[in-house]
Amino acid sequence: MMKEELETTNRPDNTAFTQQRLPAWQPMLSAGIVIPGFVLIGLAFIGIGVALFITSQNITVLEKDYTGVETTSDCYKCSNPSDKNCTCKLEFSLSNLFEGPVFFYYGLSNYFQSQRSYGASKDEYQLSGDLDYFKTPISACSPYQYDANQNPIVPCGSLANSMFNDTFKLYQIVNGTKKLVPFDGKGIAWWTDYNIKYRNPSVTPLKNAFNGTVKPSFWSKPAYELDTSDPSNNGFVNQDFLVWMRRAALPDFRKLYRRITEGDYARGLPAGNYSLEIAYNYPVLSFGGRKKVVFSNVSWMGGKNQFLGIAYLVVGSLCVVMSMVMLIVYAKFKFPEDD
Amino acid sequence: MTKGDTTTNPETDITWEVRANNRHFHKHRQQRSFLCFRWGRYADNVVRSFKYSPLTFLPLTLYEQFQRVANLYFLLMVVMQCVPAISSIPWYTTTIPLVIVLSVRGLKDLTNDLARRRSDSQINRRPSDVLISQSFSPSQWKDVCVGDVLRIHKDQIIPADLLLLCSSEPHSLCYVETADIDGETNLKYRQALDATHTEMTSDPTEQTLAAFDGIVLCEEPNSHLYTFRGELRWRGERHPLDSEHILLRGTVLRNTDTAFGMAIYTGSDSKILRNVGRLRVKMTQIEKVLNKVVIGIVLFILLMALLLAVGSGVFQGRVLSQIEVLSALTRGNSPIYTAFLTFWSYVILLSPAMPMSLYITFEMIHVLHSLFIGWDIEMRGGVERSIPAQARNTSLNEELGQVGHLLSDKTGTLTQNRLLFRQCCIAGDIYGDASISAEESQTLDLSWNPFSCGGLYLSDQRLVDKLRGQQCTQSRQFLTTLALCHTVMTEWKNGAPVYQAASPDEEALVGAARELGWVFLSRTRDSLTVSELGLKRHYQLLTLLDFTSQRRRMSVLVREPEGGLKLYCKGADIVILERLQKDCPHLESTERALDLFAQFSLRTLCIAERTVSEAKWEEWSKTMAQAVMTTRNRDDMLERLHDDMERDLKLLGVTAIEDRLQDEVPETISMLRQAGLKVWVLTGDKKETVVNIGYACRLLDPDTRLLEGDELRQLLQSPDPEITFSKGKETELWCVDRERAGEKSALVLTGPELAEFDARPEWGARFMSLAGLCQSVLCCRVTPGQKADVVTLVRKNTTSIIMAIGDGANDVNMIKTAHIGVGLAGVEGGQAVQNADYTLAKFSFLQRLLLVHGRWSYRRIAVFLRYFLYKTCSFALVHIWFGFFNGFSAQSLYENWFIFLYTVFYTAMPVECLGIFEQDVSAECSLSWPELYKVGQRQELFNTWLLAATLLHAFYTSLVLFFMPLGVFYNSALDYQTMAVTVSIALLFSATIEIILLTRHWTKWSVAAMCVSFGLFFVCTPITHSPKLFEKSPVDYYFPGVSQNAFPNPVVWFTALLTAWTAVLPSFTIHTLNIILTNPDKHRVHITKHGPVELQKSGFRRGDSHRRSSYAMSQGRGIGRLITSGASHRSTAPPVDRRGTLGENVTLAGQTQSDDAPKNITEIDSSK
Repeated sequence: MMKEELETTNRPDNTAFTQQRLPAWQPMLSAGIVIPGFVLIGLAFIGIGVALFITSQNITVLEKDYTGVETTSDCYKCSNPSDKNCTCKLEFSLSNLFEGPVFFYYGLSNYFQSQRSYGASKDEYQLSGDLDYFKTPISACSPYQYDANQNPIVPCGSLANSMFNDTFKLYQIVNGTKKLVPFDGKGIAWWTDYNIKYRNPSVTPLKNAFNGTVKPSFWSKPAYELDTSDPSNNGFVNQDFLVWMRRAALPDFRKLYRRITEGDYARGLPAGNYSLEIAYNYPVLSFGGRKKVVFSNVSWMGGKNQFLGIAYLVVGSLCVVMSMVMLIVYAKFKFPEDD
Repeated sequence: MTKGDTTTNPETDITWEVRANNRHFHKHRQQRSFLCFRWGRYADNVVRSFKYSPLTFLPLTLYEQFQRVANLYFLLMVVMQCVPAISSIPWYTTTIPLVIVLSVRGLKDLTNDLARRRSDSQINRRPSDVLISQSFSPSQWKDVCVGDVLRIHKDQIIPADLLLLCSSEPHSLCYVETADIDGETNLKYRQALDATHTEMTSDPTEQTLAAFDGIVLCEEPNSHLYTFRGELRWRGERHPLDSEHILLRGTVLRNTDTAFGMAIYTGSDSKILRNVGRLRVKMTQIEKVLNKVVIGIVLFILLMALLLAVGSGVFQGRVLSQIEVLSALTRGNSPIYTAFLTFWSYVILLSPAMPMSLYITFEMIHVLHSLFIGWDIEMRGGVERSIPAQARNTSLNEELGQVGHLLSDKTGTLTQNRLLFRQCCIAGDIYGDASISAEESQTLDLSWNPFSCGGLYLSDQRLVDKLRGQQCTQSRQFLTTLALCHTVMTEWKNGAPVYQAASPDEEALVGAARELGWVFLSRTRDSLTVSELGLKRHYQLLTLLDFTSQRRRMSVLVREPEGGLKLYCKGADIVILERLQKDCPHLESTERALDLFAQFSLRTLCIAERTVSEAKWEEWSKTMAQAVMTTRNRDDMLERLHDDMERDLKLLGVTAIEDRLQDEVPETISMLRQAGLKVWVLTGDKKETVVNIGYACRLLDPDTRLLEGDELRQLLQSPDPEITFSKGKETELWCVDRERAGEKSALVLTGPELAEFDARPEWGARFMSLAGLCQSVLCCRVTPGQKADVVTLVRKNTTSIIMAIGDGANDVNMIKTAHIGVGLAGVEGGQAVQNADYTLAKFSFLQRLLLVHGRWSYRRIAVFLRYFLYKTCSFALVHIWFGFFNGFSAQSLYENWFIFLYTVFYTAMPVECLGIFEQDVSAECSLSWPELYKVGQRQELFNTWLLAATLLHAFYTSLVLFFMPLGVFYNSALDYQTMAVTVSIALLFSATIEIILLTRHWTKWSVAAMCVSFGLFFVCTPITHSPKLFEKSPVDYYFPGVSQNAFPNPVVWFTALLTAWTAVLPSFTIHTLNIILTNPDKHRVHITKHGPVELQKSGFRRGDSHRRSSYAMSQGRGIGRLITSGASHRSTAPPVDRRGTLGENVTLAGQTQSDDAPKNITEIDSSK
């Protein structure tokens, strides 16, 4: 009796859902659809691959290692880490116009910016201009939290401390005289980093905000004096600082240093001889790292990227080949279709 | 087979002492328990089928839940997250879900347990009359104590195992119905000891009962339903007791006004509860595989974390120490300590490979599948479809799609327990038509018959005309036989006779005779009153030769009112046909009728008569009297005498009775057989009935050979039964096709034979290998315990999933033991339902439950689990590869928000839709192509290898997910966060493509879920990357502006697309190959509209081997001896006082003439 009572009370509606009769589409795929589909996808990939490959081929890249490992290199003299304020030169010549706009990168290899504790070793609050964290940086920055005298380090942490500090000057040798190629250092960092993620404290002059703090031990200049030429490019919103703080994913990476967009060089680097003067400060040889500079122009898809185009071609061809194999399989083993 | 058989020593164990009316004695020794300690001897009469008490709930449920490897693993994660040095995510992100998972499951178990408690207390509160201080007072079952004297009323269920002291019937007989215990529907009699009967019925009953101070010494409680040994010590005398004196708990008192008994075993000591078996937690095959895989994944994670930790130690020693900016970060920790910390960090980082949401979703889908079963209107039965199917255990659904053996009860499950008189053949003419179902057959106009009360399903006006027309003597004699030759008793209710028969067949026959005008009115010990078409006639009953399973016939010798002597006989065709007089007319046509009836699986009895001369009777009765007196070879002598009387018979006709099957049982069984299920029947009923039902419900084909008895034993004794079996078949003529020999045979096993298996353990495997060859196995005369033993036997020797279905208390043990137990919500007690995992209203709903719901569930859950593991493993294992490029520092490749939302939002809904809506073919197709079910039996969709392949694919995907972007990002100006987003998009793409490939059934919900969760990524990611949130909490939203910068970058998209496509390429290829190679088959399933499965009406070969003629009498002997005992042998027994409390309307042998009715109890006993 009890059962019946119970049952009649929760009797559900006869809906399509409860009866599992929801209208539905059951695609009936057949060999006649899937094999051509496979071919089409393969062809599409090959098409993309060709486009990417050609685009990539049209990009010019000039990559120069200046670590100074080879004794022939001018920078060899600077490879001794004890040698401070060493400057070396890197000379190269262009036979054709290096079409602009030319992007100038520095590159590091065997450098683990993606190490977890390295990446975590920064104070987001401090970097967003919170003065409280100027006095007491968060412990994640340790051991770059306080210096030996218990003064807070600003910006604290290993990531900031290890900021790349080689500087470059490019000269074109025109009739034996050096002509400085103007660098454009504006807007090389992400807009969001410059405007949102990193903020200077709203103290003027900026220097005052840093009272009672010390600069990172590795730095030669405090944060508020990073760019003496442009007062607005100092503190945490310094473009070079921002670029550095954006961690690379892999141990071999490039970072944008400058763009060449101005003056005579707006259309690119004309053919000729060039000399790159490098203030060699950043030590990498101790851990087998390499430093390099890269000149590159860009396309709609960014910098040169051979891999992507080739990978598309390979995968696309694989699909086409596989669909051929399937066609053979189908022809050999197909079952007679019943009507 | 039954446990305890071996431990029972027949000599020494008569140790159970019960003192009548002595509560004081027993209360002291009552069983009590606290936690797991138990003391005391006598159980109280309270049923406790629940598991938990308030005190034990928490530890027990935790113990049960942590048996799941996954839960233990999650606990480990929770503990680790509480360690700040390792933890990368806040502690509550895993703790809360774990607590939810544990408490939801715990609560579910608790509600189930509370339901059991409720049903227990319902049983415990059933009323019962207990004799307390001189008078019977109404109390409840739970108050019954060992030694109490109880009064049982008619139709009451007996609350405990009782020693019958006396009853209101003469000789303290009483009748019980044991359907709930052994499935037998005929009434059985029990009789009190002479000593108690004489004493108790002499004086005012209550006082004598209260004064009763006998002591019963008997066996310790055990599970043997059919045996009992003990003695009653009373007044210095010892009276031996056996099962004839015992009323078992759960049986129903019938045809007896009141019975008095003394409780011997109560509660858990009672025989039926000893047979109930233990409640066990059921775990599905898939869950077991999943458990294995979970262990595998966890071990893999630990191993990988270990390797990565070693890597991190080495990295710190070799590389890090040389980079000043990095080495300083180690804070002077030794590489080993760093490695130790890294190990745990990686364990946490890789743990999403086995997410808790898998179990939450798994559970949710289970519940929904259960609800679908309950919602299905096509599985509603009962009046106005008011009883839905119900999944009481929500976690077994997928196993419904894998059942390999269906073990079914017979009575109430396959049969309706209704016997209908459908056809007859009189003088070679066949009346009625069994090809029309009973409900559809026209009802005859029987208004001329004042006694008619319906229930005749033989509609043939010709017969009625013939009977009323007075011209056909043979048909009249035929009906006279039906009205006279039986052991039915009448009871008058509202002016009409109600028949109480020991055998339902007889009831049907006598009832049919009543409808046709030959109304059996009443009987005394030596007379029968029949109204023949309104004319009342008294027959003097001279002798009654009762039915036994050896004789297979019964006869009555009567003196007609006119004075002539007639022997009326009915019995199995073989027995009767060989006793016919020479040149019996209509023999040919009658045999044809027998064949015809057999075709419709009707149970037949031949009806015959003989005119006996007075002289013959005189002589015969004299010899009979002498034979009874002799002691040597008496049985042989009686046999000869019976033969002497029952010969030269004149064949009158054949009755054909339909043992009414439940609706659509043959269709269902035939469909299940097509689906590859082995259907076995287990019943307490006797062999003939089971075999007959086996044929009737198409479990056996008409030409199926039965292997039984000695033949079976021989096969089992040979070391390799399969070979012997097939060899044996070669030589036999009946086997046309050797290959199909097995398919055309069935095994018949009886309870006693099954008991032999205990002593010969090697028989079990041999039997199963033999059973594997045969189309079915029928087990008859088995106790509830043995039913469970059969289940265990199958479980041990095969890997297939066993489903047990039954409706009564006798099926409870089997239901509990099987992988899946199904209870039929029938009329009997509801005990089976209480213990079942699923309840159905009808047997035929198994079709939908297994072939539709089960098959879908299996497919859905198999695909769901495979996909879920794919998406989580490919997601998490990426970190292994990234480790090589970040100094093994446990740096995550994803934003934390993505890790969190990936399983919850971005990929959850489509796979949930898959788990809920997926159908490879429609319900109609599932039913018209039962063969599709075999996929589940062969575990084709979920097995260790398939899972390994899935995990391998996940492994490959993780490789692709990392190394494709690596190629693009290497030596580029793109940063870590852009790469994180790129890999996330690629992962989302591949997970989505994969689910698109898997989904075959696109409802609007699936499409919506797909779009929404895919779109959610592109909504949520910019939100978590939004500057506003960053300003609120820079630490939590540490990816500001990444999507703003990454989404417009075409490289990101091209990389993601390529990565995703490469990742799913293997599965895409396999899907395509699948389509190319198998599509035509599936296509056919989809486009062909099949009708319902047709039952093959196989060509029936003429021959007596297929006829099944018998009737459903008890396995022993009939009760005819009781009825006529006084008449047949009026000698030795002491006179019996007749001051019993006899029901007024009961007309029973001895009632009217009990003065001169000496009952020879010893006669009954000795003849056993």
